[in-house]
Formats: sequence, structure tokens, C-alpha cells
Amino acid sequence: MKVTVDRTLCDGNGVCMGIAPDVFDVDDDLTLHIADEIPDDPAIQAQVRQSITSCPVLALSLEE
Amino acid sequence: MVATTSQTVVVAGGSLAGHTVVAELARRGFAGDVVWVRGPEGTGPYSRPALSKELIQGKVTRDDIRLPAPEAYGLRLRVVDHAVCARLDPDDDRVLVTSAPGARGEPSDGDWIPFDALFVCTGTRARLPEAFAGLPNVHCLRTLADAERIRERLPGRPRTVVVGAGLVGSEIAASLRSCGLPVELVVQGRLPMDTVFGDDLGQFCLDRHHAHGVTTRLLTTVTGLSAAGPDGPVVLTFDDGGQTSADLVVLGLGAVTACEWLRGSGLDLSDGLGCDEALRTARPNVFAAGDVANWRHPVFGRRMRVEHWSNASAQARHAVESWWAGQEGREPPAFAEVPYFWSDQYGLKYQMVGHARGHDEVSVERTGADGHPFVTYFREGRVVAAAGVNAPRAVMRMKARIQSEGTTTQGAYAG
Ligand code: SF4
Repeated sequence: MKVTVDRTLCDGNGVCMGIAPDVFDVDDDLTLHIADEIPDDPAIQAQVRQSITSCPVLALSLEE
Repeated sequence: MVATTSQTVVVAGGSLAGHTVVAELARRGFAGDVVWVRGPEGTGPYSRPALSKELIQGKVTRDDIRLPAPEAYGLRLRVVDHAVCARLDPDDDRVLVTSAPGARGEPSDGDWIPFDALFVCTGTRARLPEAFAGLPNVHCLRTLADAERIRERLPGRPRTVVVGAGLVGSEIAASLRSCGLPVELVVQGRLPMDTVFGDDLGQFCLDRHHAHGVTTRLLTTVTGLSAAGPDGPVVLTFDDGGQTSADLVVLGLGAVTACEWLRGSGLDLSDGLGCDEALRTARPNVFAAGDVANWRHPVFGRRMRVEHWSNASAQARHAVESWWAGQEGREPPAFAEVPYFWSDQYGLKYQMVGHARGHDEVSVERTGADGHPFVTYFREGRVVAAAGVNAPRAVMRMKARIQSEGTTTQGAYAG
């Protein structure tokens, strides 16, 4: 599982970080960092899927 | 799941919560029929937070903020646009679906649609005092159409008065000012957003408005609006006897829940639609999600409604889980997600987690190179909320803390 972000869209609002804090991290310059390795944990993977559908600017996409 | 292909689910409401219920049913492989009554707008679901931020500033258009099309859900789905749920039968599991007020076409008596489960996601609408309705150059900002109407006016650089300085009003004022419009902000309380954030961030927010050239009237209520024809200015009168005129007035007076259609159904409508911790209403197969849902939050031990983006999608997923669990004979879990929202003003990001209502103490720290206030809110010695400016990590750390234990009395920001 790999997640990519469209940086022209992402505004760093942190919705994804609120849902999947182990994977998404927005720093104080409002830049999103995505974990290189998404843990093999089904609970975290479900959070990642929720983050993708919850991003208010549809900036996230999944590459399985 | 004991779901059969003969089951019918009705989803009332065409915004994020309704959209997410439908998507969640699809994700779970629901094999029955879904009837999605999307309300009067006819635009399909879109990202509402963008309206008062990017959309009115012209940074995005409606195509950029559309949520994925229903065809993508792979369900037996019937989408009904320009239509509303008008009644819930108090005795039978069926809803009356009629064309939305003002919709084109033949008026009809509507159709009664029987359901096995009903998800109420009808949300809120802008609060608009009757005396202010229908005036030219006076707008609310709730829907995509509202936002587009306001944006169309921007090239003429109208002198703009924003009435109401809650989250939405304050954000609209900032967005319009950032487009170069002359803006005056009418603040009912002592400070903008003070009912949300309290004094420290409220003062910070007021200072930002002033630094960017917005003029403000504090402790002021609009008592009258009158328009001198479609092209003339709007005259506003205030409770202190003052007056001003504007080319454009935007009302940010908050929202009211859209659940009057449930009157007479026997459900609890005292503030929104009352449900239990698992988002079930008093009727076992009727659920609520989004702005309309009033539930008892287990972390805070009180009832609340939450009118924010993240809450709508999380509750929608949860409501489907509650229904699903019931079908499988499991006890559904409580909805315990800690509320979160953000606001964009003058390039700064305000973020808040938790539920500050009823707080009795705050601690204020300074964060970042600019020393922005970071506020932790306590009730009876316990952390109930935190808010900051351009400090997402600190805010999100507090989310986990509020959720998991919430009993600390320490300051929150650790660098
Ligand atoms: S939810 Fe979307 S816009 Fe917000 S920080 Fe994550 S990727 Fe960026």
C-alpha cells in the first residue's frame, strides 16, 4: 500500500493526520509528510483508506 | 451480515454525511437497494469547507470540489435529486419523498418509500431571519450556489459588510479581504470567534483582522436591513443606533438544523435529532449522522452536535456500523471521535480539537517563531479541548490525549 499526495491541492488542514496519525504528519509549516512504509496493520490501513476519502480537497490517492 | 437483496436503505441528505453513508454501504458490499434523496440543490455532494476558503476567493471552481460520483460506488443505487424527505411515518417504516420546494416540473404528492434502515443526514441550513430574506445583495454562505453568487460579485470590488463573526463569518471576512475588498465585520460578541475559542485566540483573531485592514464593530447586532433596489446599496442599522451602507452583505449568523420534516414521527427533535451513543434514534432502524445528530459523547459525558467536516464523515461510517452490528446481533460501539476543525484566515491555520463548551480554565502558551497563542481548555481539572495557530502537531497530540485519558492538568504544548 502506497499513498501519494497532490501538493498543489493539499493545504495542510490535518484531517488525514487526525485519522491516521501513524502515517500522516503535518508540520508547523503546514507541509504534509507521509510515512515511507505504511504498517501492515489492517487497522492502520483502514485509517489510511478513511483518510483518503475524508480529505476535503481530494488530495490523497492510493497506489495498492 | 444477514442482509438480503430485498432490503432497502434510504439515505436522506446529499452532503458529506449522506455521501459517506452511501460510500460505506458500497464498501461493505451491501447487496440491497439504496435510495439516496439528495435534497434541493441538484449539484451532487461537494467539499463544503472550501466554499468560504478557496471557492469564494476564486482559487478553485465547483468541478475541483466535487466529491466522487455515485456511479463509482457499485451499489444498487437510486439517486433522487431536487427532492427531499418530507415526512417519516410515525407507525410504519416508510418516508414520504417529494420534489423540493421550488423544483421545476409537475408538483406531485410524492411517493412513500418503505425502508429497512433510514439514515438521517439532512444537516443544517444557514440561519436567516425572515426580515432579511430575499433582499438583493444580501447573501448567506452555506451552499455552493451561495458561494458562487458571492464570488461573481468580487470583480466589482463591492464594499462588503460581513455580519456575524463566528467561525464562518470570520473566515469569510478574511477571504474577501484577501481578495482586496473593503470589508467591515460586525461582531455580536466582544471578539470574533470568542464563543468558539475564548478570549486569547479571539483577541488574536481580531488583531489579524485589523492588521489586514478589516474594520470591526464589536458588541453590535444588526436590527434592520434595507435595500434600495437590485443595484443600490444595502443600508444596515444597528442596535446602538448606528448605520452603515454596503454594496454586498454576507450573513454569517450560524446554522439551524434541517429536521423539521421529522415532526410528528415520535423522534426527539429538541436540538437536532436526538440519538444514543451509537447514533441510533428512538426507532431502532433510524440513524443520524452529521450536523443534525445530537448524541451523548462518551469522552465528554455530555450531549452535543458537531457541525464540522471530519465529524460528518466519521459519524456516517459509524452509523452504518451501528446498523450493521445490530443486524449481526452485536452491540454497536459508541461514537467517541474527538471533534476537530480548522479555519484558514490570512494564510494562518486555526485548528481546534475537543469540545471547549463549559470550560472553566485555560492555559495559554506561545508557539512557533511568531509566538502564536496555543490554548488548552480545562473543565473540572480535565483537558477538554486545545486550539492553536499553525501548530498542527501540538493540536493533534492533544487529540489523542483528550481521547485516551483527558485527565491531565499540565500545559499541552511541549515544543
Ligand atoms: S487531509 Fe488532505 S488537505 Fe488535509 S493535510 Fe491531509 S492531504 Fe492535506
